[in-house]
Amino acid sequence: MIPQQIAHTIVDPKAYAAEKPVDDAFTWLRREMPLAVAQPDGFDPFWVVTRHRDILEVERQNELFHNGDRSTVVTSKTADEKVRSMMGGSPHLVRSLVQMDNPDHGYYRRLTQPYFLPQNIRKLEPRIREIAKSFVNRMAEKGGRCDFARDIAFLYPLHVIMEILGVPEVDEPMMLRLTQELFGSADAEMSRSAPADENEGLAALMATIADFVAYFNKMTEDRRAHPRDDVASVIANGTVNGQPLGQLEAMSYYIIVATAGHDTTSNTTAGALWALAENPGQLALLKKDMPACMPLFIEESIRWVTPVKHFMRTATADATLAGHKIAKGDWLMLSYPSGNRDEDVFDDPFAFKVDRTPNRQVAFGYGAHVCLGQHLARMEMRILWEELLPRLHELELAGEPRRMEAAFVCGPKSVPVRYRMQ
Amino acid sequence: MATGFKTWQCENCGFLYEEEFGLPAEGIAPGTRWEDVADDFICPNCGFAKSQFSMIEV
Repeated sequence: MIPQQIAHTIVDPKAYAAEKPVDDAFTWLRREMPLAVAQPDGFDPFWVVTRHRDILEVERQNELFHNGDRSTVVTSKTADEKVRSMMGGSPHLVRSLVQMDNPDHGYYRRLTQPYFLPQNIRKLEPRIREIAKSFVNRMAEKGGRCDFARDIAFLYPLHVIMEILGVPEVDEPMMLRLTQELFGSADAEMSRSAPADENEGLAALMATIADFVAYFNKMTEDRRAHPRDDVASVIANGTVNGQPLGQLEAMSYYIIVATAGHDTTSNTTAGALWALAENPGQLALLKKDMPACMPLFIEESIRWVTPVKHFMRTATADATLAGHKIAKGDWLMLSYPSGNRDEDVFDDPFAFKVDRTPNRQVAFGYGAHVCLGQHLARMEMRILWEELLPRLHELELAGEPRRMEAAFVCGPKSVPVRYRMQ
Repeated sequence: MATGFKTWQCENCGFLYEEEFGLPAEGIAPGTRWEDVADDFICPNCGFAKSQFSMIEV
């Protein structure tokens, strides 16, 4: 059994904001107990999968390790009971691709997958470059000082995905606020009501989801009456086995696109600039040979930030993993930051290297549930850096950056920087 | 010089195998035709099998 202090750290939102306690905990686990059971107070026991190869092994076997049988995010017993009581026994507040297993997962993924394939998003490049240029100009107009997270990184991927989804620009601030409430429910600065306890936190989360649902219900009506060339029209008019999407599934589809479709890219972009500001030698190396370094830098940024901190899986049968007996029904935490700092896979894993190769980062997951938007995310980041870096001549931190307090999706919430731009 | 290189795509994740460039990081040299890629090749991005790739026009 994992020592209680470490078990508590790996579910503590504040520890993820500080980062070092989590890095230290997982470094210790990889060395001493790479696959073991944790049971923080108030939680059901779960296996903690810390090694890169074991994470791939679980994700590869998506029939043996299900997403939907229990919560996909580590959840206290109290919160789990409350969710089940509200959701007719289901452990999930939404039912998106993340909470589905086959056959539904395949059916629902295929609905929008063509939209997010490289050959389709390539067509979007000219428009995304226009958007990127406008944000780079905005940064230049700030006069050499900005909060890169709030002024640029939160807003650029938001604008791109909202155009793809079909949400008008005027509603983007609301979508950003709802996204931050959803992923930042444990962070007093981000949550809807700075909840005093778990019950209040869950109520706030439900209110956020209700706002999303009200908005996207209207969008469904509109796109059924007036279909357009956007993802909302695909969801509103799509069918699975000849039937329209279920209400819960359709709303969940909108919500995952409208949240995961920008927040993780924002986190990675903000975290990458933070890392460049702290590592001027790496920035110089990147600027010296941008075409060669760019794809490596993007993979390293994704590895470095790893915005999705974990997903949970549930064993559907007795199994063996890394020599341990996993019983049917066991719950497993896949720790992506740990996999991305695995000393057996990455040389000097706590160093940010813009030319790191090979880089088998696992931040997008693996197997059937690998991130649907990964090609778009990489392209958005490449275009922004191609527009920004040639104009950026000096860069340094202008204050202490801060991360969101969250144990699920977590990244920078403030990155104050000073810079000189053309 | 060989021409007519094709592109193959993983049906699960969209990863592209371009014959012209191969996958040097996986030990597959540039110019390697898909039929010459080992049968036990798995998608480096998501782990799906070679049989779940299909040829695409890009």
